[in-house]
Amino acid sequence: MNSPRTTLYKDPYNKKLMGVCAGIADYTGVNALWVRLGAVFLTFASSGFLIVLYLIAGFLLNKKPAHHYVDHEEQKYWQRVRQSPKRTAREIRAKMKDIDRRLADVETYYVSSNPRLTAEIERLR
Amino acid sequence: MDEVFIVAVIFIALPWIMLHYITKWKTSATITSDDEVLLEELYNLAKRLDDRMDTVERLVAADNPDYRPARLVHDSEADNQQLRELDRLLAEKKGASK
Repeated sequence: MNSPRTTLYKDPYNKKLMGVCAGIADYTGVNALWVRLGAVFLTFASSGFLIVLYLIAGFLLNKKPAHHYVDHEEQKYWQRVRQSPKRTAREIRAKMKDIDRRLADVETYYVSSNPRLTAEIERLR
Repeated sequence: MDEVFIVAVIFIALPWIMLHYITKWKTSATITSDDEVLLEELYNLAKRLDDRMDTVERLVAADNPDYRPARLVHDSEADNQQLRELDRLLAEKKGASK
């Protein structure tokens, strides 16, 4: 567990109490409000046992580094990676294929109807 | 009889469920730090290539006004025409089956 991108942190920047719920929200991509509501519900359901777990997690988890992600898009990307690395790999492949197709379009345009070459030929006549 | 059932639930079913999900979690969510570095590189590469492709398409479009980059266009008339046709056929089929 020494990989920084797939480690669970507590999030001290969006915290309400100790940042555990915000950390879980950041890890999974679920809205922090739902995580907190679920935590409150489970506290009642487990008759207070979750508070102990919360405190343990609050003291054990490391703080999230200040500039963990460059932008919001990257944060979303890593949330998807944590949910399913396989699906993310497929998404990257789809993106690469899309770029390949667009490049092929440009290439086809220049090969089949090269306007500059036509203009040069016209001038030589 | 009731007590036996409760004890069985607490000492057999509960650990069973927990261990089941722990093993599932351990076998599924294995992504090593090497994989992570690879994924990060791929992400950055894809993003860079996408940006470059945008630039190239813009340059080509600026040089040649008749070049149109193939993009998904929102609410274009050619697509709407076909969609209307499809809607009409579906409505006809629904009317016929009734």
